[in-house]
Amino acid sequence: MFAYVIRRILIMIPTLIAISAITFVIIQLPPGDYLSTLIAELQSQGENVDTAKIDALRAQYGLDRPMIEQYLVWAWGLLNGDFGFSFEYQLPVADVVGDRLFLTLVLNFTTIIFIWAVSFPIGIYSATHQYRWGDYGLTFIGFIGLATPNFLLALVLLYFANVWFGTSIGGLMDPIYIDQPWSIDKALSVLEHLWVPVVVIGTSGTAGMIRRLRANMLDELQKQYVVTARAKGLSPLKTLVKYPLRTALNPFIADIGNMLPQVVSGSAIVSMVLSLPTTGPMLIAALQSQDMYLAGSFLIFLALLTVVGMFLSDLALAWLDPRIRLGGGANR
Amino acid sequence: MSSARRGPVPHYVNKAPFDPNVTEVLTPEQERYYMATQWQLMWWKLRRHRLAVISGAVLAFMYFSVVISELLAPYALSTRNTDFIYAPPQGINLFHDGEFVSPFVYGLDYELNMETLKREYTPNPDKVQPIRFFCFGDEYKFWGAFDGSFHIFCPAEGGTLFLLGTDRLGRDILSRIVYGTRVSLTVGLFGIIISFVIGIVVGGLAGYYGGWIDNLTQRIIEIIRSFPELPLWMALSAALPVTWSPILVYFGITLILGMLDWTGLARAVRSKLLSLREEDFALAAQLMGAKPKRIIGRHLLPSFMSHLIASATLSIPSMILGETALSFLGLGLRPPITSWGVLLTEAQNINAVELYPWIMAPVVPVIIVVLAFNFFGDGLRDAADPYR
Amino acid sequence: MKDRLFLQAAALVLSAFLALSSGGVAAYTEPPILAERVEAGELPPVGQRLPLTPRVVDFAKRGLEIGKHGGTIRMLMARAKDARQMAVYGYARLVVYSPDGFELIPDILASFDVDEGRVFTLRLRPGHRWSDGHPFTSEDFRYWWEDVANNEELSPVGPPTVLKVDGESPRFEVIDAHTVRYSWSKPNPDFLVRLAGASPLYIYRPAHYMKRFHAKYTDEKTLEAAVAEARQRSWSALHNKLDNLYRNDNIDLPVLQPWRIDSSLSSDRLSFVRNPYFHRVDPEGNQLPYADEFLFSMANNKLIPAKVGTGEVDLQARYLRFDDYTFLKQGEHRQPYKTHLWRTAKGAHLALMPNLNVNDPGLQELIRDVRFRRALSLAVNRREINQVIYYGLALEGNNTVLPASPLHDDKYQTAWASFDIKAANRLLDEIGLTKRDSRGVRLLPDGRPLDIIIETAGESTEQTDVLELIHDSWLDVGIKVYSKPSQRNVFRNRIFAGETLMSIWFGVENGLATADTSPADFAPTTQQSLQWPKWGQHFETGGKAGQAPDLAPAKELLELFKKWRASSSTSAKREIWRRILDINAEQVFTIGLIAGVLQPVVVSDSLRNVPSKGIYNWDPGAHFGIYSPDTFWFDPTAADAAADKS
Repeated sequence: MFAYVIRRILIMIPTLIAISAITFVIIQLPPGDYLSTLIAELQSQGENVDTAKIDALRAQYGLDRPMIEQYLVWAWGLLNGDFGFSFEYQLPVADVVGDRLFLTLVLNFTTIIFIWAVSFPIGIYSATHQYRWGDYGLTFIGFIGLATPNFLLALVLLYFANVWFGTSIGGLMDPIYIDQPWSIDKALSVLEHLWVPVVVIGTSGTAGMIRRLRANMLDELQKQYVVTARAKGLSPLKTLVKYPLRTALNPFIADIGNMLPQVVSGSAIVSMVLSLPTTGPMLIAALQSQDMYLAGSFLIFLALLTVVGMFLSDLALAWLDPRIRLGGGANR
Repeated sequence: MSSARRGPVPHYVNKAPFDPNVTEVLTPEQERYYMATQWQLMWWKLRRHRLAVISGAVLAFMYFSVVISELLAPYALSTRNTDFIYAPPQGINLFHDGEFVSPFVYGLDYELNMETLKREYTPNPDKVQPIRFFCFGDEYKFWGAFDGSFHIFCPAEGGTLFLLGTDRLGRDILSRIVYGTRVSLTVGLFGIIISFVIGIVVGGLAGYYGGWIDNLTQRIIEIIRSFPELPLWMALSAALPVTWSPILVYFGITLILGMLDWTGLARAVRSKLLSLREEDFALAAQLMGAKPKRIIGRHLLPSFMSHLIASATLSIPSMILGETALSFLGLGLRPPITSWGVLLTEAQNINAVELYPWIMAPVVPVIIVVLAFNFFGDGLRDAADPYR
Repeated sequence: MKDRLFLQAAALVLSAFLALSSGGVAAYTEPPILAERVEAGELPPVGQRLPLTPRVVDFAKRGLEIGKHGGTIRMLMARAKDARQMAVYGYARLVVYSPDGFELIPDILASFDVDEGRVFTLRLRPGHRWSDGHPFTSEDFRYWWEDVANNEELSPVGPPTVLKVDGESPRFEVIDAHTVRYSWSKPNPDFLVRLAGASPLYIYRPAHYMKRFHAKYTDEKTLEAAVAEARQRSWSALHNKLDNLYRNDNIDLPVLQPWRIDSSLSSDRLSFVRNPYFHRVDPEGNQLPYADEFLFSMANNKLIPAKVGTGEVDLQARYLRFDDYTFLKQGEHRQPYKTHLWRTAKGAHLALMPNLNVNDPGLQELIRDVRFRRALSLAVNRREINQVIYYGLALEGNNTVLPASPLHDDKYQTAWASFDIKAANRLLDEIGLTKRDSRGVRLLPDGRPLDIIIETAGESTEQTDVLELIHDSWLDVGIKVYSKPSQRNVFRNRIFAGETLMSIWFGVENGLATADTSPADFAPTTQQSLQWPKWGQHFETGGKAGQAPDLAPAKELLELFKKWRASSSTSAKREIWRRILDINAEQVFTIGLIAGVLQPVVVSDSLRNVPSKGIYNWDPGAHFGIYSPDTFWFDPTAADAAADKS
């Protein structure tokens, strides 16, 4: 077990290096750089731009250096905890991201809990009542969320939340609370706004989870020991809960690693549409304006989170499922 | 009780000749079952899953409609009615003044409210416009090559038929959805083919050879999966040269979607291969001198092809949704190409939600197709292992 | 006796002077929100904060009402970069445009003199202070000129190009503490115009603040520490980062605007608080601005119309489009605001730009043929575009000055701009494009079909819609249009490189030009003009890049432009303008589509002094700038009345 852990950690390092290199390349892929995007934008708005000054700026920001050098500078900074400088905000990246991180975590965490809470009962019910109308109906509902494009659903829910409940449009709380310290009212306001993004993002994730849970449960319920237990008179509920359920919990743990990037990326678009003060819209804007360090550092941070998350979920799985610990591998 | 017996115990003896193979004679149904091929078994099992069957039928219809889009749509793709901008959907009526008439719509009267600058349409009960069936209407070029003007149904002469209303240029939304089907449904298909091929090749190599190839592919897969897909999409789409024609951009998008999707498939292939390569039949093939390619392709793969197909089917919806998301972000397909994603992006504003909700109609086919693929894929997967 | 009389008179004068300058309460009114700080001694009383002769905004002439202090103006913005809009809306400039007639009047300056169009004497207001209380004097101008613009490390390329006339830098003199002078040997007609621009030329800096970051005035050690703390590469990088008066990204930077920024740019709410030293007052002596705070809240730009419709703003125009008008109007029933429609003042809201510098030789020859451009223009159904997209409320015609401009003439607007398919076909036949292919599309002399690819920056559905409409009418004259959405960066670069045949973009920025406005947009003077990027680049770089114009009318335009710059009388300038407009109308260098598009402006019921009819333009206009948002005030009774209504 210990050797397994050490090995996994050691493997994570080259993975992260590769991720950082790829991220950097990806950010640079679109033609031009931050300054040329900026110039084009300013000039098309009719503002005067002194191209000579921009060239001086380019040298100043180091955008005229070869790509390799820029990458190394950035990577070295990352290792030192220096996430770089955002051109758009003219602030260090850590300052820009820091403010939003808390709310992002709240949003993603709530979404994951929502996914679990919804898919768990539905998955179990579907597995035990296979092919009946209840099965169809519930999976249908679970799938509707998956099938609807997030951005449209978000806009529609937002509108109706405003018309029916008077919730203010967009944002994670009423505008008056934005700069105020935390209080019960502020928390309530956040809850009031939170349900729209959580429902929108969460419903896409529930479908997959329901399906996995259902499949695993079905697998287990067919096994000999279940039949034996029933034949021997164990109550249906106990046969359900005591063993099959515990095995079926497998995907919940195993999929945290899977869910993280999905939730983060799904929440990015929805956050953008709903104008939430989370890191998603900031990331998208940074990618569009090629704010190199902001986008790059944040992506690395996300990737790091995911890799660590997957590692932790693998650990949890190994601890939970002796079959994996003893060699054999999870059949995902 | 008396233990003495009088005479032989009466029991029934069948006079028919004894056939030693009797236990092995099968009833016709059983015979069919045991002699059926793998695919037949799958089909029978699939048929039991009613939802999958319905979904399959829906999908078949939609893909068929891709072939005859021009005939299905009441209007041609670029037809504009500048007199009917943002017209609401016209309902089909059957009874006029209490009498049964063929399906018809009421003509629309138009007025511009100068105060709110809103176009107001009211159905006019005097203008009865019967729908024509199998008629000649708007001209089009069938698949861009053949001229034609035959439609399955079209508006009355000089009338209008906006079953789902019109958009801001006066284009019929139903027609645009029908034409958009062509792009949206095929994007998923091509993307799936690409990811299928990559997934099988990579997964096959990793599963069969194991060792460092396996390790390397595992790491690569891990790297790709730990990326949030959104920035990857954005960056790759932004890298597509804008000088490309719309068709090339379209293929570029399918390529991107496919390239980021193969990891799940590769993992499934790999794990299956890892277990299957120890099987006797694989060993036998190896001993007989078959090359690895042949072993993988001819012996190992077919045994779980059904699983693969099921997985692939379940990935198509994410491609369709991915296309809509990319259009929304302004990457991917853009007007003047018509796809559901493009149509939905145009509906993505508060005006559409409050004032012209019919503009959001393209979300319905998206939902239907995604659900259909999901249920069909589920059915396929359930049916995929018929020997269980 | 006479001495005593003299002494008494002097004493009288002196006491009057003292009374006035000591900030006699009778003269100016303190904004209530600052009263506490004045009481506590943190701020001097208002009389001492204002310049000796503050600018009294002419309320009578502009039909404004005297207002009350107080309130927060809420507005929505989409990006942190929009913080600079405050510098635009605040519109405190050395000289400003007046809202009627767009004349240049002094604002921060007390007065200015122009001698022969080449010697500019600028007089400041004595007693004028920066927002931190430090005096605003000619030292701030000298600091900028000598230590910033001409400092090799801070400005490696030297002073801004607009200050150079034919390469000659001005001669800068400090006459006294409140007067400076810039002189050239030839007239510089752009100087004052740039000073009054929406994104202006700043020829001053807060010297007392910036000197701390200048190597000449601070010792090396402190400077190095500051540079390290701010994680900059050098002191010049630090100085350049901190001194931007336009971007509003430095909380500590003193400004002269009515509101100064009080939040970090990464926040979702940018708060701009009252500048206690602002130099304008209303006729009754109230120090402006009336509103205590101006708030920019950040939201996704697509959501802004929805949020405006639910009453989250007091004032909004940016990010609202004409399409949103119906929705906003409906929202008026539920929320206390009104939606006005202001006219935009671009020469053309949308225009097609044939690229006269396109690389392909066959296409270049065709596009340089004036008959071809005229035919294209005649084949555009502007009426349909107007009806379909703008409800018929826009102005159809060429990319030229608007009717509200004194230079306007109907013929500039309508030349070759009617919808005449027959005439267009005739012209095309005349050129020799008589062969057509199976689709009915005309063939070029070398056999290629006339497929015109019109590139767009891919940002607005409006442009794609217009192109769809144009596609149909051009097909009638045998031209097939393909619209190709691109990306702004790539879009512009392709045009500059000559790879694009035609693009669609906005027309001239200033459709309200007067004789004194620079006709730069109408002549090949800059690469940014998408119809002749290489000729423009040639002029811009002084001949180092690009190509010299080789088409006679274009050459004439350039000559006229140079003549305009050199002339000093308004009537001569007017003549030159007419000739320039004439040539542009006849040559159809750009195909204007529609102009005068309406811009919705949402104003809360309780916010007053906002004109219901206005011009929404960038330069001149600064969007809200010329209407002086510092004079907008909140009327509490109006809010109650509105509450009663709902």
